Amino acid sequence: MFRLTKKKKHDLLAGYFFVSPWILGFLIFIIFPILASLFLSFTKYDILSSPKFIGLENWKRMFLEDRRFLNATKATLKYVIFAVPARLLFAFIVALILNLSEHKIIRLYRAIYYVPSLVGGSVAVAVMWRQIFGLDGLVNFIMEKILGMSRIIWLGDPKTAIWTLILLAMWQFGSPMLIFLAGLKQIPESLYEAASIDGATFWPQLFKITIPMLSPVIFFNLVMQTIGGFMVFTQAYIITGGAPLDTTLFYALYIYQKGFRDYDMGYASAMAWFLLVIIAIITFILFKTSGRWVYYEAERGR
Amino acid sequence: MKRFIKIYILIFLLVFLFLSSNYSAEVINLRVSWWGSQTRHNATLKVIELFEKKYPNIKITPEYTAWSDYWTKLNTQAAAQNLPDVIQHDYQYITEWVTRGLLLPLDDLIAKKIINLSDVAPQYIQPGIIKGKTYGINLGVNALGLVYDPELFKKAGVPLPKTDWTWDDFKNTVIQLNKKLGIYGVEGFTGQIECFKIWLIENGQWLYSEDGKNLGFDEETFTKWWKMMLELEDANAVPSIAVDVSRTGLGVEDQFIVKQKSAMSLAWSNQLIAISRAANRPLKMALFPRISKTAKSGSYLKASMFFSINAQTKYPKEAGMFIDFFTNSIEANKILAAERGVPISKKIQAFLKPQLTPAQKEAFDFIKLVEKYGSPTPPPDVPRHAEVSNNVIGPIWEQIRYKQISLDKAFAQLKSQAEKILQRQ
Amino acid sequence: MFHKRKRFYIIYYTIITIFAFVMIYPLLWLFASSFKPHAEIFQYMTSLIPKNFTLENYIEGWKGFGGITFATFFKNSFILATGVTVGIVLSSSMIAYGLARIPFPGRNFWFTCVMLTLMLPGQVQMIPRYILFFKLGWVNSFKPLIVPAFFGGAFFIFLIMQFIRGIPLELDESASIDGAGRFSIFWHIILPNIKPALITSTIFAFYWTWDDFMGPLLYLNKPQLYPVALALKNFADPTTITNWGAIFAMSILSLIPIFFIFIFFQKYMETGIATTGIRG
Repeated sequence: MFRLTKKKKHDLLAGYFFVSPWILGFLIFIIFPILASLFLSFTKYDILSSPKFIGLENWKRMFLEDRRFLNATKATLKYVIFAVPARLLFAFIVALILNLSEHKIIRLYRAIYYVPSLVGGSVAVAVMWRQIFGLDGLVNFIMEKILGMSRIIWLGDPKTAIWTLILLAMWQFGSPMLIFLAGLKQIPESLYEAASIDGATFWPQLFKITIPMLSPVIFFNLVMQTIGGFMVFTQAYIITGGAPLDTTLFYALYIYQKGFRDYDMGYASAMAWFLLVIIAIITFILFKTSGRWVYYEAERGR
Repeated sequence: MKRFIKIYILIFLLVFLFLSSNYSAEVINLRVSWWGSQTRHNATLKVIELFEKKYPNIKITPEYTAWSDYWTKLNTQAAAQNLPDVIQHDYQYITEWVTRGLLLPLDDLIAKKIINLSDVAPQYIQPGIIKGKTYGINLGVNALGLVYDPELFKKAGVPLPKTDWTWDDFKNTVIQLNKKLGIYGVEGFTGQIECFKIWLIENGQWLYSEDGKNLGFDEETFTKWWKMMLELEDANAVPSIAVDVSRTGLGVEDQFIVKQKSAMSLAWSNQLIAISRAANRPLKMALFPRISKTAKSGSYLKASMFFSINAQTKYPKEAGMFIDFFTNSIEANKILAAERGVPISKKIQAFLKPQLTPAQKEAFDFIKLVEKYGSPTPPPDVPRHAEVSNNVIGPIWEQIRYKQISLDKAFAQLKSQAEKILQRQ
Repeated sequence: MFHKRKRFYIIYYTIITIFAFVMIYPLLWLFASSFKPHAEIFQYMTSLIPKNFTLENYIEGWKGFGGITFATFFKNSFILATGVTVGIVLSSSMIAYGLARIPFPGRNFWFTCVMLTLMLPGQVQMIPRYILFFKLGWVNSFKPLIVPAFFGGAFFIFLIMQFIRGIPLELDESASIDGAGRFSIFWHIILPNIKPALITSTIFAFYWTWDDFMGPLLYLNKPQLYPVALALKNFADPTTITNWGAIFAMSILSLIPIFFIFIFFQKYMETGIATTGIRG
C-alpha cells in the first residue's frame, strides 16, 4: 500500500464525503434490484410464483429461437440510427439560432420549442399523434388537399409506422436543445469579443470557439441521447403497441411485454442484461474516442 | 333503595359498555381492487359507501386503475405478496392465478350462503369454476355478438340477420351491405381471435388439446375460416388491417358503426350500451352465424369479469360479504346499472328490467338468446395461452392479413411455434 | 448598418415564427379540442376552432372521480415534483463536484457505477424494487418516490459534471490559495458558475417527476395520493367509455404549471457567466 500524502488523505476524505449520498443510495436502493434482475435472467420467473433456476435456457432461446427478438433489435437499431442524430442536429441548430437574439421575446420562442417535450408520455400525446397521422388526420389532409397526393395509412403501414415515432422523437427535441442552450450561455462573451476584434466572422467563430467550448455538452447529449434511444419505450407503448408486424416493437417494449404480459420475467431480465452490455460497449467506445474532440476548460494545458 | 338503584344502573352501564365494545369490534380493513374508467369508478365507490353504511365495522380501501395499468400493478403486488383482499379478475388470467394458488376457493363461502347464489342460474356460475372449484364470482354476464344497425339494413334492402343465419348468409350480407351502401359490412371482425375461437367451437374443436400441449384444431378448419375472412377483405367489404392497426386504442364509441361507416360491428353485449349511446340511435344485436341451420351458434355465455378473493386474505368472511352485497343488493345494483354486464341474480335481473333503457334491454335479451341457442361455455384458457396468443397467433394473424404468408405456411408455422411453447418445460 | 440589421431580424423572426407554428400546431389542436364537445372532437379532425365552444370538459374533468377533484391530484403532483427536484439537484451537484474535481482512489469506479445504472432498462427492476420498498414498509406513501432522489440521479450527476469540467481550475486554485476548503470552493465558486446546468436540471427533474405515472401507479394505492399523470390514465379505458374531452382538458391544465416553471427559471439563464476576470 502506497504512502498517502497529507493531500491525498485529504482528497480521499473529501472525495468520499461528496460522493457519499450516491454510495449510500446505491447500496440501499439500487444494488438489490440490479443484482436481482441479473439472477432472474438465469431463471424461469412468472412473477406469481418463485423463480426456478434454468441456467442458460433464456439466453439460448433469445439468441437462437426468438424471431421477435430479432424484430425488436432491428426496430430499435433503426430508431437509434435515425432519431438520435436527427434530434441532436435539430436541437443544436435551433439552440444556436435562438441564441442569436437578445430580445426578451426570444424567451417565448424558446418556450414554444420546448413545450412539445413537456407533453412527453401522456395519454393526450398518443391520441393527438394518432389523430394527426390518422386516416382523416392533418397529414393526410395536407397530402390530399394541398399536395394532391393520395393518402397514406401512416400507422397501419409497416413501412411508415416507425417513421411516425421517429418524427415524434424529432418533434420533442426540446430537452437536448435546452441543454445546448445552457452550455451556450456558459461560454464567456469575452472570447467572442476578442475574436471579433481579430476579424473573425460567424463561421470561424462557430468552429473555433462555440463548438470546442460546447464540446463537453455535445458529448453529454450524444451519450445520453444514444442511451435513451436504445431504451425508447413510452411512445411505442402508448401509441402503437409494437404494431404493425413488430415494426415498432422497440426492445424495451418487448421486454415489458415479455415480463408483464407473457409472465416471462426471467426471459425479460436476460434481454435487459443483453441490452445493458450493448449500451455499455457503445458508451465505452464513445468515451474512449472523446479524448480527441472534447475540450475541457479545466484540463487546459494538460 | 336509592343505593340499590345506583348499583343497578352502574352494573347495567358496565354490561352495556362491555357488550357494545364487542359489537364495535376491531375495524376490519378490506382492500378491494378493480379496473375501469370514470363511470365505473364513481359507481363502484358509491356502492362501497352503501356497504360501509350497512356494516360499520368494515372499512374498505379502494384501489382502482385503468385496464392498461391494472395487471402491471396487480402482478407486482402478487410478486411481493401484497395483494388486495377482493380482486376484480379476468377470464384470460384467472387460470394462471388459480394454478399458482393465489386465489381462494369460494365453494365454502357459497355453501354457507355468505355468498348467496341461490337464485343464480348454474350457467352463470359455470365460467368461474376452474378445476372443479369456484374461484370467481361472475360480475356480469356477457357474450360476443354482432351489433347491427337495422336502418342501414333497410336502406340497403338487405334482410336482417336471423337467429339461425349461417356463415354463407353472413358472408353475403356483409358483401351486399358493402355493395349497396359503399360502407363496411362489418368491422373489428376478420382479425379478431375471439371470432376464430367461436368458429372452432362450432366445429367441435378448440384452440388447444385437452392436455394443453398441442393445438386443438386442424388445418382444414383453419383454412376454411381464413378463406372466408380473406374473401371479405379482398372485396373491401371490411376494414383492412392497415386501417385496423391505425385505429388501435380508440374506444368503443369511436367505432365506424357510430358514424354509419359500417353496418355491423363485433362487440361484447355490455359494450352495446356504450355504442348505442354514442351512435344515438337504436342498434340491435345478433348471434354469431352457424355452420348450418340445425347446428348451434358459437356464441357462448361468459363472465365479463369476476370478483375473486386473495388466498392469503385475513378476512375471507368479510370479503365474501362484500361480493355477496355486490351480487345481491338491489340498491347496489341500481347504482351499478349493469355496467359490467347482465347481473347474475334472477331477482336483480327482474328488478332492473322495467328500468332499462332500450339498449340495456337489447343486451339483456341478447343474453337470453345466447342461453337458448348458444353453445356451452368453453374451458378457460390454458396457462401458456397468453404467451402463445401474443407471440404466435397474433403475429401470424397479422402476417396473413398483410398478405405476407400463404395459408399453408401459416398453419405450419403456427403449429410448430405454438407447440414449442406449449411443450416447453 | 442599421437597416441591414433590421432586415436580418425580419427574416430571422419570420422563419422562427413559421417553425414555431409547425412545432406547436399539435398542441394547439389539443387545446382547441379541449373546448369541443365529445362528438365534435373526432369529427372535425383538422379544425382549430371549436364549432360548439364548451367548458364542459374542464368542469367534468376537474371533478375527477370518487369525489376526489383534480385539486387534490395537482397538489400531489406539486409535492412529488418539488420534493424530488430539491433532493436530486442538491445531491447530484454535490456528487458531481466530488467526481469531477477531487482526485481520489475509486473515483473512476464510482463514475462507471453511475453510468451503468443508466443502462439497465427499468422494466426488469420494477418488481425487485417494489419488493424492497414493500419490505421497508414504504408502499402506499410518497416515500419510494421522493427519498431515493436525495441520493443523486445519474443523469444529473453526469450533466453537472460536464459543466463543472468547463470551469477553469485556476478559479479553484486561487480560492484554495486564499484558504478556502473543498466545500467552500464548491459552494462559492463552482455552484454560481454552473447556474445554467442547475436551472436545466431543475426544469428536467420537475417535469420528469410531473409526467411520471409508472412509479405512482405501483407505489400509491389510495387514489387520494394520485398525481395528475396517474389520474389522467384513469380516464382512459378502451373497454368502457373514454372521456377524451376530459383527458384533453386536464392535460392542458397539467401543462400550465410546468410551462410557468420553465418561463420563470428561464430568466435566470439569461445572466451569462462572468469569468472574464480570471485572466487578469
